[in-house]
Amino acid sequence: MSLINYSSREINCKIVYYGPGLCGKTTNLQHIYSRVPQETRGKMISLATEMDRTLFFDFLPLELGQIRGFRTRFHLYTVPGQVYYNASRKLILKGVDGIVFVADSQIDRFEANVESYMNMLDNLTEHDLTIEKIPFVMQYNKRDLPRVVPVDDLERELNPRKAPYFEAVALRGTGVFDTLKVACKLVLKTLG
Amino acid sequence: MVKGNWALFEEDFWSINTILQNLIQSSSSKSVMLIDKTGQLISSIGEPPGFDVTSFSSLAAADFSANQEIAKMVGEEDFATLVHQGENESMYLSLIANRVILVVLFDRKTSLGLVRLKARRGGDELLTVLNKLFDKLQYKNEDLSATTLGAEFTAEAESEIDSLFKE
Repeated sequence: MSLINYSSREINCKIVYYGPGLCGKTTNLQHIYSRVPQETRGKMISLATEMDRTLFFDFLPLELGQIRGFRTRFHLYTVPGQVYYNASRKLILKGVDGIVFVADSQIDRFEANVESYMNMLDNLTEHDLTIEKIPFVMQYNKRDLPRVVPVDDLERELNPRKAPYFEAVALRGTGVFDTLKVACKLVLKTLG
Repeated sequence: MVKGNWALFEEDFWSINTILQNLIQSSSSKSVMLIDKTGQLISSIGEPPGFDVTSFSSLAAADFSANQEIAKMVGEEDFATLVHQGENESMYLSLIANRVILVVLFDRKTSLGLVRLKARRGGDELLTVLNKLFDKLQYKNEDLSATTLGAEFTAEAESEIDSLFKE
């Protein structure tokens, strides 16, 4: 839920990266963290297991600087992708302003994508939100791998509302900033 | 402005800060923060903390949310207050108006009992201010132009996004 503080002149918006386990949500944030200027980013926090799997969330605050007198920040969160962490996913969606769904393009992860997408719709409903009403961007990650589902098939199954989508290789950074930029812009449009 | 967002206006901000300031003094605490339940910092008063308050806010809100879910599992509506006690530094958290979290950071110069008492009183005062603010926002949401930022803001922000977020 974006918070506009007219007194301290600050705007904070929350973008959540959603998707199945090991699809590359944390990798997206790590790439952003490594490439944005130091003064733009805050500390990245990862609540992860010893095996580096996200346990609760990753958090990365980004600051655009002063825009017409307002200090404008985006708070990026990831959810834990593993199926049994649904309670945590629900909590992180609280107050979300925009969603990036990171799909794993590999053929054998197709079902996991669909399951995670349906789970996201259910969890949004619990927060009285719908995918039609919230800024939403789709990212098809791992496009460099050999056995991937064609983008048209992924679009048909995961993106019926035809939200903007990007092909990505998050590990190399391909498509990461394109996705982020569009997500941020869509969120700002709801404020402007 | 989309429904569900909220804005904080000058007069409310100062009313809130006055309450937080009084709370620090009366409880001899180090600093007091007000955090939106979604993890966004609303205000911070007192000794400037030696840590990143943005990250702190996101973690405190997550901490509170997780505990609320645990409360439901054990048959409680919520745990309205939480206390984290360290050897030197401690923290008292309480939920106000079901929407914001009051965080009091204190050390051994004061006691948990005093902090709890004063935080409850401060919490009641904050509730009055926040309820008025939420009423006002509900009214303003009907007049969208009153709280939106305008096309110039969006255009300038978009250009900033393009220049900062690139390979």
